[in-house]
Amino acid sequence: MLLLGALALAATLAPLVSPYDPEQTVADPFLPPSREHLLGTNDVGQDILSELIYGARISLTVGSLAAALAVGIGTTVGVVAGFSGGWTDVVLMRIVDLVLVIPFLPLVILLAAYLGPSYWNIIIVIGVLAWARPARVTRSQVLQVRSLDYVEAARAMGARPVRVMARHVLPAVLPLAMAQFIVAASNAILIEASLAFLGLGDPTAKSWGTVLYYAQVRNAFLSGAWVWWVLPPGLLITAATLGFALTGLSLEERLNPRVRRARAS
Amino acid sequence: MDSAVWRFFAGRGAQYLLVLALTVALNFALPRMMPGSPLVFLAGEDVGFLDAEQRAQLYALHGLDQPRWRQFLTYVANLARGELGYSFQRGRPIAAMIGERLPWTLLLVGLSLVIATALGAALGALAAWRRGSAFDLGTLGVAVFFESAPPFWLGMILIAVFGAGLGWLPIFGAATAGQALAGWALLVDRARHLALPLATLTLINVPGTLLITRYSMLSVLGEQYIATARAKGVREQDVLRRHATRNALLPVATVFMLNLGYVASGATVVETVFSYPGVGRLLYEAVLNRDYPVLQGTFLIITVSVIAANIAADMLYPLLDPRVRRR
Repeated sequence: MLLLGALALAATLAPLVSPYDPEQTVADPFLPPSREHLLGTNDVGQDILSELIYGARISLTVGSLAAALAVGIGTTVGVVAGFSGGWTDVVLMRIVDLVLVIPFLPLVILLAAYLGPSYWNIIIVIGVLAWARPARVTRSQVLQVRSLDYVEAARAMGARPVRVMARHVLPAVLPLAMAQFIVAASNAILIEASLAFLGLGDPTAKSWGTVLYYAQVRNAFLSGAWVWWVLPPGLLITAATLGFALTGLSLEERLNPRVRRARAS
Repeated sequence: MDSAVWRFFAGRGAQYLLVLALTVALNFALPRMMPGSPLVFLAGEDVGFLDAEQRAQLYALHGLDQPRWRQFLTYVANLARGELGYSFQRGRPIAAMIGERLPWTLLLVGLSLVIATALGAALGALAAWRRGSAFDLGTLGVAVFFESAPPFWLGMILIAVFGAGLGWLPIFGAATAGQALAGWALLVDRARHLALPLATLTLINVPGTLLITRYSMLSVLGEQYIATARAKGVREQDVLRRHATRNALLPVATVFMLNLGYVASGATVVETVFSYPGVGRLLYEAVLNRDYPVLQGTFLIITVSVIAANIAADMLYPLLDPRVRRR
């Protein structure tokens, strides 16, 4: 959580805290770290530290938006499936299983290659493909909520199903959706980094993955430069993923009925 | 096997067929749905330089002048014969290109899966056995770290340290170019090239198995029969090996299955970093060259492989868990 907070803060305050403009050539290329450039400079003389601080904006934004989309779809599907039961449930859950079988990254690569490199495309592609897990978790929660007294009461009073879902079931699963969002965001950040690394990122704005992509293309790891060019962005991605994952897991542990039961037994 | 088992497999089979059908349909639809002429995606960007007659010829060659449903039937029929079309970058049949690459990926991914599963299960079981100890916490910390690290970045670090830095291992390709090796020397050469990509892929695959094993082991250790075994005076090692671990491994098989898609993803980036000549690297090259037919063919093959691995895992599962067999 602290980790995430620090990263988010750096991302928000990027113009204030980063020493240079990440898009400007401010010094000679391939400089080792010095007092002026704490992490040295890259192949065209841009300050790597500033690149990373601004990169936090892109990486975190893409991760969050993609996760929001995925969890939005997932929660809707999960609530509808769990609440309706019967055939709707069977069909929706079959689709979930189906999506889970498809190799995720290759499909994302295929779609991203066709749609062209832009962050919106990446967000949409990840979001549209990553909803299956949240859908399944939400459904199991809904199954529990459905039989609670106040939901039964609302139904008995003749409330329409849509209303019951929106007013009584949805609020009960929202905390869980929050936890799912955080887990999904950690995945999305990793996937965005992989895409950017494969050269499918948006060329107009650099994320942490893009920095690594250039480091790879310029063979930074063959010289000593990897210590300040390759190591830091990777650690940042790991930190962000880890921060999201740990926060999500601890939330889920408290909220997910299945995990809780497994703990109790 | 009784009818329930068959029904289970029929359900699964139908599902895999559906995945396959979806993949094929997606591959068929993508180039035709995109804005602009589908020729760009089927025959390359040079299409713009051709005159009208040549374009019409190409159009007919790819069957684009026919109605959609006929195009689709032809497409499926070609696939069924194992024809994936031609790369417009290299002008070679895609099936042959993938065929060359597949053994390398199978070698890399297969070995990594076996090592990672064995290692993850062993470490996970031990960690749970010594719950709360320094070993447990240390293992957990390391596992969670590797679970969160980007695979390609791990590869780059390994290259920098063991390849470029220490100079112990080769970092490029799967074989030393321009050398005719035979026998033992050949084997050593291939193994040395395999070492770093294999290490990377294994490092990212161990945590999943480890965490699940530990978790499932913890719940098994709370069961009555463990207490019974101990009360009978069974030695601790035997309780760990024969009573606890055996039962705790069942969920590992499930995770193994779920991981297959993830492994395919990991292989793609890891092969790219090491220029390892596998299917994942081919996917990357296709992206670089905007070689759409190759991209699609590779995606199809990866999906088929994952499905095949899933089916294999489905068939193995009853062997592991007698309860599934009986049901």
